[in-house]
Amino acid sequence: MRSPRCAALLLLTLWLTIAAAPAAAVDESAAAAERKHCLNCHAKKIGEKKFSDGDSVSTYVDPKAFERSIHGSLPCSACHEEFSERRHPDRVFRTKQQFQVRESRRCLACHPDEKINARPIHQSLLKKEQAGQPRICTNCHSAHSTQRARKGGVTLSEEQFCMRCHSHAGRMQFAAGGSVSVQVDPALLSASAHRNLSCSDCHFSFSASEHPRRKFRSSREYRLSASEVCRRCHHDKQAKVAESIHYSLASTGRLDAPTCVDCHGGHGVAAPGTDRLAIVKKCASCHAQVFAAYAKSVHGSALSNTSNRDVPTCIDCHSSHTIRATRSAAFHDAIPDTCSGCHGNREIMAKYGLSTAVVKTYLSDFHGMTLQLYRKEVQSRQRPAAPIAVCSDCHGIHNIARAAGEHAATIKSNLLKRCQSCHPKASENFPDAWLSHYEPSLARMPIIFALKWFYRIMLVVMVAGLVFQIVLDIRRRLEKR
Amino acid sequence: MSPDLSTRIPQRIRRFSTYRIIEHWLLITLFFTLVLTGLPQKLHQFSLCQSIVLVLGGIDTVRSVHHFAGVLFFMLAVQHIAVNFIGIVFRQWEPSLLITLKDMKDSMHNARYYLGLLPNPALCGRFSYKEKCVYWLVLIGGIQMIMTGFMLWFPVLVTKYLPGQFIPAAKIVHSSEAMITFLLVVTWHLYEVILSPDVFPINKSIFTGFMDQQQVARLHPLQSAERREIEADDLTEMPGDRRS
Repeated sequence: MRSPRCAALLLLTLWLTIAAAPAAAVDESAAAAERKHCLNCHAKKIGEKKFSDGDSVSTYVDPKAFERSIHGSLPCSACHEEFSERRHPDRVFRTKQQFQVRESRRCLACHPDEKINARPIHQSLLKKEQAGQPRICTNCHSAHSTQRARKGGVTLSEEQFCMRCHSHAGRMQFAAGGSVSVQVDPALLSASAHRNLSCSDCHFSFSASEHPRRKFRSSREYRLSASEVCRRCHHDKQAKVAESIHYSLASTGRLDAPTCVDCHGGHGVAAPGTDRLAIVKKCASCHAQVFAAYAKSVHGSALSNTSNRDVPTCIDCHSSHTIRATRSAAFHDAIPDTCSGCHGNREIMAKYGLSTAVVKTYLSDFHGMTLQLYRKEVQSRQRPAAPIAVCSDCHGIHNIARAAGEHAATIKSNLLKRCQSCHPKASENFPDAWLSHYEPSLARMPIIFALKWFYRIMLVVMVAGLVFQIVLDIRRRLEKR
Repeated sequence: MSPDLSTRIPQRIRRFSTYRIIEHWLLITLFFTLVLTGLPQKLHQFSLCQSIVLVLGGIDTVRSVHHFAGVLFFMLAVQHIAVNFIGIVFRQWEPSLLITLKDMKDSMHNARYYLGLLPNPALCGRFSYKEKCVYWLVLIGGIQMIMTGFMLWFPVLVTKYLPGQFIPAAKIVHSSEAMITFLLVVTWHLYEVILSPDVFPINKSIFTGFMDQQQVARLHPLQSAERREIEADDLTEMPGDRRS
């Protein structure tokens, strides 16, 4: 009995083996048949899945990419379980995201949380999911061309690739001690002016395959090096900066002189001109005393109290990149140009009831006339004797106050002191020698107004009379001949 | 001077003493120095004037030269007034440049002549009313410019004793008066002594000191009626026009 039982067992095993093999083969061919069936339509770039919000996604599946993918041997219904050769339900989604979230849920059947959470990248995603962000597997792994993650074939954008590590807290150590965080806030990045750039556009020796280890002595040295990359695109600004006081300070070894990233920030670099108060505050981080004076001035208080868009911020007078040394004669002599940019503009001044005659009266007066000639002399390489008073010498620099209104009396009393800084023996009458930017009129300074017109009329009458007399004289002589 | 040349020269009349010739030369020099350094300052908005300032060595140099020439002009004016005051008051000089009633009449006469109402211009003596007019305008204008010039040069000192507004007023007076004097000289005076058909190409008497007798008869008919030559080194003036 023993041998027939053995033989029967053997037969059974054999049958099972023979029977099982065609079953697997049948499965394989069924999957292939289903894929073929689905791809009849989905391999053509003809269809679009429409969402209620108007968005859409293509129904195209690249057959070759799918075949190469890790899921290439699965039947379509393995993931799209509601679909088969006979069933093609018409599902309605509000948004593309809703669709993606719904489809990503299917991944969990084979890739449950406990398995995928072994990787740190997924841990942070999981935290985000808990915080309310949707989980969309296909964002990183793609849908039909999914590759084995270990092969490095996960289809990440460069940013996603870098952020796998740089979204986590980490620090870069410096030889001289100290460290700097290498964590990048994605929100900051996506709000920045550079949001459409990829990481290696700025960090140009880095890529998915290269991550050079660089050594810096200090965080300052690192920042200076980081600022060097800006000029790859912003060479025009770099050329301007090269003329600035900040650059010349840096070139004398002052490492604390600001570079690009000190003012513009790194990953959060903002489009210029968006926040005027931020500009001032940025400068104030080094120039605190200047800011204190500015904040109290007519310009600074209007900026901080009423977000006035007409008053100058630091860069309107000092320029943003060509920031010249303010103690230079060239800067001093150009101040009337700087001020007249606004104070000679009727449109702006009319809003505040200010006169644009201030520029004209200055330029026609002793100081303004001398200044213009001095500037010509400098251009032709002559050297003027001494600096001449410009706007800021009388009105102050950062602490400029309103000349009318409550400050008028203070300004009047301070005027003599201003005069005395150049004319030490000036007496109380002396400031009146200057017409306070007024053009002489009958209401104001009638004597000077009258004198001016008396001479104007007299000059015309006299010259006309003399020429008339000469003409008559000649005519009479010709008649006599 | 060779004797045969002197015989050829027609009889000349001494019109200006050497002193007056030197005085006029100094006046010409200072006047044009002041105009050259002053007008570009007044008309500084024109690029030509700016170029003049640059060529002259910059505004500081131009101002220094203007001040220096101004001081010399001041000295010239002081000595002129002093010498003539002493001469007229103590030495019985004829005040030949004094404006008289006849000058008023002459000017009215000439106005009618120019309008074609009278056949001939007024006859004048040693100095015509036009010459007197130029003299007094330059003298009075000069005094004004000296005073206002010093005010503009030393505004700090001036405002110690005077209200501040005197400075801008002085500036208007100084520059306007300068313009008037300048135009008076370049139109009227230069016409009368250079371009006028009576004297063309030039009336040289202020440089040589002499005037031909014929010319005197033509230009200063009332003077030639009674003439007297004066010594070259004599400071005394010629007698004024004595109407006979």
